Amino acid sequence: MFGRHSKMWTLFIMMVALSAIMSAALPGKFLRLLNFQSMFSQFPEFGLLSIAMMVAMISGGIDLSVVAITNLTGVVSALILTRMIPAGMAGPQAFIIMALAVVTAIVISGLCGLLNGVVISKFGVPPILATLGTQGLFLGIAIAITEGHGISTFPEKFLFIGSGMVGGIPMPFIIFVVIAVLIFLFMNKTKLGLSIYMVGSNPTVSRFAGIDNDNVLIKTYVVTGLLAGLSSVVMISRVNSMRPGYGAAYLLQAILVVILGGVDPYGGFGSVLGVTMGIIILQVLQSGFNILSFSPFFKKFIWGMMLLVVMVINFFVAKYQQRAKKLGTQPVESVPSPGE
Amino acid sequence: MKLFDAVKTYDYRSLLKHNETFVFFVLLGFSIVVTIINPSFLSIENLFDLAKSSAGMAILAIGVFIVLLSGGIDVSFTAVAISAQYIAVKTLIILGIDNLALAFLISCSVGIALGSINAFLISIFRLPTLITTLGTLSVFHGGLLEFVGSTPFYSGQIPDCFKSFGLAQVFTLVREDGTKFGLSLYVLIILGIVVVTWIILRYTMLGRGIYAIGGNREAAERAGFNITRIQFFIYCYVGFLAGIMAIMHLAMIRYATPTLSIVGTELSVIAAVVLGGARITGGSGSILGTLLGVALIVALQKNLVLMGLSSYWHQFLVGLIIIVGVSITYYQSLRRSQQRVVFTEEL
Amino acid sequence: MNENLLEIRNVSKAYVGVQALDKVDMTIRKGEIHCLVGENGSGKSTLIKVVAGVVRQDEGEIIINEKLYRYLHAIDSIREGVQIIYQDLSLFPNLTLAENISLNQEIERSRKVINWKDIKEIARHALDEIGEDLDLDERVENISVASKQLVAISRALTQDAKLIIMDEPTSSLTRDEISRLFNVITDLQKRGISTLFVSHKLSEVFEIAERVSILRDGKMVGTFNTEELDNDRLVYLMTGKKVESTIYKFDEKKKKAPLIEVRNLSKSRNFKNISFSVQEGEIVGITGLLGSGRSELALALFGMFPADSGEILLEGKRVSIENTQDAINAGIGYLPEDRLNQGLFIEHSITRNIIVTILEKLLNKFGFISAKKREELVHEWVNRLKVKTPNVESPAQSLSGGNQQRLVLAKWLATNPRVFILDGPTIGVDIASKATIHQIVRGLAENGMGIIIISDEIPEVLQNCNRVLVMAKGKIIHEVKDVTSVTEDEVFSIMSRKEAYEAV
Repeated sequence: MFGRHSKMWTLFIMMVALSAIMSAALPGKFLRLLNFQSMFSQFPEFGLLSIAMMVAMISGGIDLSVVAITNLTGVVSALILTRMIPAGMAGPQAFIIMALAVVTAIVISGLCGLLNGVVISKFGVPPILATLGTQGLFLGIAIAITEGHGISTFPEKFLFIGSGMVGGIPMPFIIFVVIAVLIFLFMNKTKLGLSIYMVGSNPTVSRFAGIDNDNVLIKTYVVTGLLAGLSSVVMISRVNSMRPGYGAAYLLQAILVVILGGVDPYGGFGSVLGVTMGIIILQVLQSGFNILSFSPFFKKFIWGMMLLVVMVINFFVAKYQQRAKKLGTQPVESVPSPGE
Repeated sequence: MKLFDAVKTYDYRSLLKHNETFVFFVLLGFSIVVTIINPSFLSIENLFDLAKSSAGMAILAIGVFIVLLSGGIDVSFTAVAISAQYIAVKTLIILGIDNLALAFLISCSVGIALGSINAFLISIFRLPTLITTLGTLSVFHGGLLEFVGSTPFYSGQIPDCFKSFGLAQVFTLVREDGTKFGLSLYVLIILGIVVVTWIILRYTMLGRGIYAIGGNREAAERAGFNITRIQFFIYCYVGFLAGIMAIMHLAMIRYATPTLSIVGTELSVIAAVVLGGARITGGSGSILGTLLGVALIVALQKNLVLMGLSSYWHQFLVGLIIIVGVSITYYQSLRRSQQRVVFTEEL
Repeated sequence: MNENLLEIRNVSKAYVGVQALDKVDMTIRKGEIHCLVGENGSGKSTLIKVVAGVVRQDEGEIIINEKLYRYLHAIDSIREGVQIIYQDLSLFPNLTLAENISLNQEIERSRKVINWKDIKEIARHALDEIGEDLDLDERVENISVASKQLVAISRALTQDAKLIIMDEPTSSLTRDEISRLFNVITDLQKRGISTLFVSHKLSEVFEIAERVSILRDGKMVGTFNTEELDNDRLVYLMTGKKVESTIYKFDEKKKKAPLIEVRNLSKSRNFKNISFSVQEGEIVGITGLLGSGRSELALALFGMFPADSGEILLEGKRVSIENTQDAINAGIGYLPEDRLNQGLFIEHSITRNIIVTILEKLLNKFGFISAKKREELVHEWVNRLKVKTPNVESPAQSLSGGNQQRLVLAKWLATNPRVFILDGPTIGVDIASKATIHQIVRGLAENGMGIIIISDEIPEVLQNCNRVLVMAKGKIIHEVKDVTSVTEDEVFSIMSRKEAYEAV
């Protein structure tokens, strides 16, 4: 079906079909500008996390600590924003502090990613275990700092990042698009990006090809961390608060989106385009669920079911392809390579 | 004399290779430090109390251990436990029955049923275990809260059978002032489970099959092991253990809040198992190690305050311990595999 | 009484587009040591899988112990006493020797409960049968490859084996270990147990087999008594061609400064004080038995497992090689022994595979990979090495075996190495492709590259190199400066003589 890019087309059709169904089923509610604006301002923080997960998975691993990283960086930035900006502070001074908050988020998230990368590559700890541990570590620090409470109410100017609009388009969406394009270029057009695919595909062969696996893995998780950090900035500026534990549901959803988007959980394959479409599909569903007032429990149930269903479908698709190859009715297809 | 000889000639060096030894010494060291700060730590009463509160985690840990042995990982066990617990207690309350045996029956049945779902997905569709159980975690927990209910049951509503079960003791001792304390029945239960599990692992083909799958799955298939059957056993057993733990947990805390309890402790349990020496790649580890790991985590949990840290630091500490612990273990094997040695002596 | 244990009649098996076996007949006698040889893709592994009941044939019959089987299941095969030992041995690393040996039998007997005494007894008995004394309580992951093989054989014996099939059993064994293995096989023969031995090392065929069956392109060429054959005739039967082999001549007059010079290179417990040099246009061979340190030397030169001390000079300049990137930057290329598993990303496209080592050359001024440069480079190398493919975006696995070999070569040549190290370049390669690879390598040398060939096939190094270094126990013990002056046997005896080991 449509050759090499069959998976991408399937996703595209799904995305369009779902939107159409939603619009038809919820007339007047779904297809409103307000709804779209709200969707497009909600999904970026989660979208960035999904892209982070994608990068980690392509490298052959997984990052279970992404949400914890957002919690930690969010909490620290929130502290800077609330403690260091007294109510009547003048414009430029406040601005510098806000910039400081953002920079701190980036630095801390990068450091978190660095820890992940080092534990995984230099100590040889499997990514599942390493990020499971660091998840506790990062979240734990966040809890310890805030003693479980949330921090809220940030300067209005800061909120522009998460809630502002440029020409009717929500700011977070713009940020997301920019980052998505950057990551796309990174993964497909730079040496490091391609190396991540190679290491995820077969670490032995990549060593023989001269790739420094350790170096690549460390950088992979730093990138993942940075993306999580960016996400936290968008998060806190949209919700105007941060508390440890926020966004816990995002972890499962990120994995769902990434698998839906065609990333191979064993590594080596995946594309930004696929993941983006997965994000949109998820957001459309989420939006529909909100309009229908589904309870958070029901949503949790559905996301879990979707993940399982998608994986089972993948199983059958792979089986069908294998059988077709054996019968000679299908030529040996190349797995769709990203953007080539 | 024979004993003395045996002690003298024992291969102590091989002990060092075992992860369990390290954990034991860490635990020992930690206990000593804590006892210095608070001498009552090593009192019998406190130890009995520790044993009771760690029984639940220990049971879950044994289940997780078996999964890890087979080369997989299961993070949904907490959702299975809370589902089993809530369904059992709700049924009892609705039916107005106050029977502990029925509670266990319902709880374990739910546990096995949910476990079999995991088994089905993992063995028939060959899905990766982490992601699958992440999915079922959501499905089970979300499903429970949405379809069964989310209203908590408080102490007054809980049938009495639970309360008496929670207080049951193996034997009772009397303090100086006349008040009593005792060794909880829980210890007997955990002991029983340990023995049963140990027998299964060591003396049945099923148990060896678990090790075999974890060691070399393809060879296990070739040797004639029925992989599907073994995996069904594994995940259903985890469910079964979760069912037992669920009732014990309820009896101990005497309220059921399906939205908040048990789920969220996956990290601690997995930490305990991994610290105890079980490899995430499968095939190795021991029940003893798992129990030592649990003891360490629980000891830490209980003595945070003593060490001057607020309980808010618990999560951080667990994470830190995992990271440090696994880094050391895995680093050792990394070094070993990196050294290509052709000749055993120097050239 | 029929002296045939196993008889295969008219067996055919086809896979998509490939006739793996074409009307094959073969017999194996009781108590016989029988070798199955053939080039890559000749159908050897399909044939043994059919005999083991793991693969079902399309046509033909299998007769074991005078019983006729049209459809043979794995369990039937096992019950008839056919045991197959795969190349990976199928052992459980985390279990003890005793368990590895005994579990199969216990499963067959449908045992549900483990009796450890029984397990040990069965294992002890099996080990005694082959005359080996190994520690039954040791975990399999801690023992040597040779010992693992003996464990696998013992396991086969516990199920009353009458025929043991071994798939390339000697590929990771040292000379001593191979001797030990052959002793065991001979012993088994005395007890009436037959062995079917798949091997590509022709020397072993002559050493141990009584009869040899030759497969070519899925057809059975014939079964012969080994004493009636010699090496050349065997090769001819395997390939259908007479392969001309000419010796590589290096023009001494062209001598210049060395391209690569190695001085006193040492790595603890791997090799010691290695010194040699290679000039432009030279093809230097390094040979030695497995375990002589020769592969480790190559990997050290390539930076995979760097040396501890010593110097490496490229064109007179000292270079530090601490990782593979350093080696590639210095102009050293390395063709791994297991080309397919270590050299190709099998599911990725041909393009991806070629460019992965030279990504830096493709960068444009922004640091991004230029699509134009990429396409040019890929097409250049695909054409130069004649990699047959309709589409460079197809995955590497869509190529035939021979083309995959070429792809790996292309990948490395694209880095324009000054020195190219080939480790076992023609292992597992069919003879026609072997010749092509040698031809390509000679062409490279003539164009000024320095080549180092690591191989344990003495004929290969004698024919293709102008100089050969012989290693034993981690050191270079001999240099053959004139390849025409020695015979294969002489070199072999140099490599394996006891003095070499004692003097070191």
